[in-house]
Amino acid sequence: MAGDLTARPVALLARAGLVLLKRSALLCVLLAVVFLGVEILPGDAAHSIAERGETAADLARRRELLGLDRPLPERFWDWISGLPLGDLGTSARGEQVTDLVSAAFPNTLLLGGLALLLTTVLSLTLGCWAALRPDGRLDRVVSGASTAAFAIPEFVVAVALVLVLSLWTGWLPAVTLTDAGGAPASWTMLILPALALTIPQTGWNTTVVRAALADEARAPHVETAVLDGLPPRRVLTHHVLPGALPTIATGLATSSGVLLGGAVVVETIFNYPGVGAVLASAVVDRDTPVVAGVTALAGAVITCALLAADLVRGLVTGGVR
Amino acid sequence: MTRKRPLAVEDHERRPVMSSARDRRVVCHRAGPLLRALPACLLVCLAIAGPWLAPHAVDAPVTAPFAEPGAGAPLGGDQLGRDVLSRLLAGGRELVLSALLIAAVVTATAALIGAVGALRPAVGRVVERAADVVILLPAVLGILLVGLSWPGGGRLAVVLAAIVLSLPYAVRLVSSAASLVAASGYVEAAAAGGERLRVLVVREVLPNLRATLLALFGLRFVEAVYVVSTAAFLQVGPQPPAADWALMIRENSPGILLNPWAVVAPSLVIGMLALSVNLASAALAPQSGRQAVTLR
Repeated sequence: MAGDLTARPVALLARAGLVLLKRSALLCVLLAVVFLGVEILPGDAAHSIAERGETAADLARRRELLGLDRPLPERFWDWISGLPLGDLGTSARGEQVTDLVSAAFPNTLLLGGLALLLTTVLSLTLGCWAALRPDGRLDRVVSGASTAAFAIPEFVVAVALVLVLSLWTGWLPAVTLTDAGGAPASWTMLILPALALTIPQTGWNTTVVRAALADEARAPHVETAVLDGLPPRRVLTHHVLPGALPTIATGLATSSGVLLGGAVVVETIFNYPGVGAVLASAVVDRDTPVVAGVTALAGAVITCALLAADLVRGLVTGGVR
Repeated sequence: MTRKRPLAVEDHERRPVMSSARDRRVVCHRAGPLLRALPACLLVCLAIAGPWLAPHAVDAPVTAPFAEPGAGAPLGGDQLGRDVLSRLLAGGRELVLSALLIAAVVTATAALIGAVGALRPAVGRVVERAADVVILLPAVLGILLVGLSWPGGGRLAVVLAAIVLSLPYAVRLVSSAASLVAASGYVEAAAAGGERLRVLVVREVLPNLRATLLALFGLRFVEAVYVVSTAAFLQVGPQPPAADWALMIRENSPGILLNPWAVVAPSLVIGMLALSVNLASAALAPQSGRQAVTLR
């Protein structure tokens, strides 16, 4: 018994370490692919900000200044070894990408986190509610509405929200104003951007929750609980939901990536002071290194979300045993 | 705890608390799937034929900037006074054609690789890892990366990036549907009979995945509309003065109070396009493959 108690944490730690290693390896592969992809495609950072009438010598000088003349493996190593230390690389104009995004990224995380929280609460509520009355009118309405919602791009949802909740009714501000610190001046300015992100993702996750619950409801232990005469709500919370949690957690973790991508778009609509603004100016300047740095940052955040989902899976399967 | 309503009432058919998704679909999907696909087909055809139907030139002003709907322009004017209706009719063709191309290439490639992956586990494992990597890259960022590092790539860059980014999911989906088919007796019998891989894939596995592939095509189309229009909104892809729905929304939002139609109309058509195709593909999805199709 005593041996069992000591052996278990060690085994758990080993398993956690293995998962961590696997996720980090996948992130490294992504970074390598991103770096190589940017390399292989025609045009580089020195080219992108070239002005008319520049000679080949000017171009070569800038390539040298940006360090683009060094061999590929050396540059890749420089980039990827700097990432864990918070160095996201150098923009085409020679600025540190970390400096460009350090003020904006917390705002984007706040917006994305709020949207993820809302999505989690709404999709769990709607999914469970629909699952309690299978085949009822509510179930059909919820699944129909969620199929519809996840098809619509965020910027279309955002335009509709602005028009109805801001311009016609005047309830909420349509643009985000910032305070001296560069953060949104009032929490009401977060509502519309967060809703624009939440609505499509709630549609998607409600579908996942509903399907996971339906799958789990077919398990023999659930049937036993039903035959024991337990009330449906208790069967749902104590017998169906726990088994469905890993699938739901993975769905939500996947959503975090889509939320980050969508945040970029929604931020430009609401003039929200996040990474979206940095990326928008990078698009105008054709500044690829900035986009690559933000991609690395986003990849790290999504990896964390997936690790959290792994943790939920580990806890649920460990708890059953 | 206080509610001890016996379950027997609603459980008279010995069903579990929640019936499976499969039971539900059988009931509500009898209304012809082709009928449900009709709105999507009409909308796609209208978008493709649109440029020929436009009453005015898309790049010449016919009204005052942000003019309200009037006699010559039923949907008013945009930020330069160009006819919104004409630009609306003209602005969907490239989006729809790009999305069709992306969906077709992704579905066809995924069908082949997925079927091979179901028959050859080593290929399946590679696909799994690729999907695990792509999950870490938000599609919008991926498109921005490719669009920016390929100056002059234009539409082609966006289309290629969208194909590469959505392929792993699609392959994963096909191979999970195909592995059910591959495990069935007749495919195993054919494999044991020494049939070559190509024959197994083309003659035995793929014909049984028709419904899955049709639904996949629909979902990929919706995803492609999302990605291509979002990229256009972020100014990667079509450039002004081209007529494009996503670009119209961006350009005209400053005047949304003066002529809301310049923003609302393109938003509505993008929303309707995504919605109608999504509903069509939900109607076409096979009963057994549905779970796999919805779980991207």
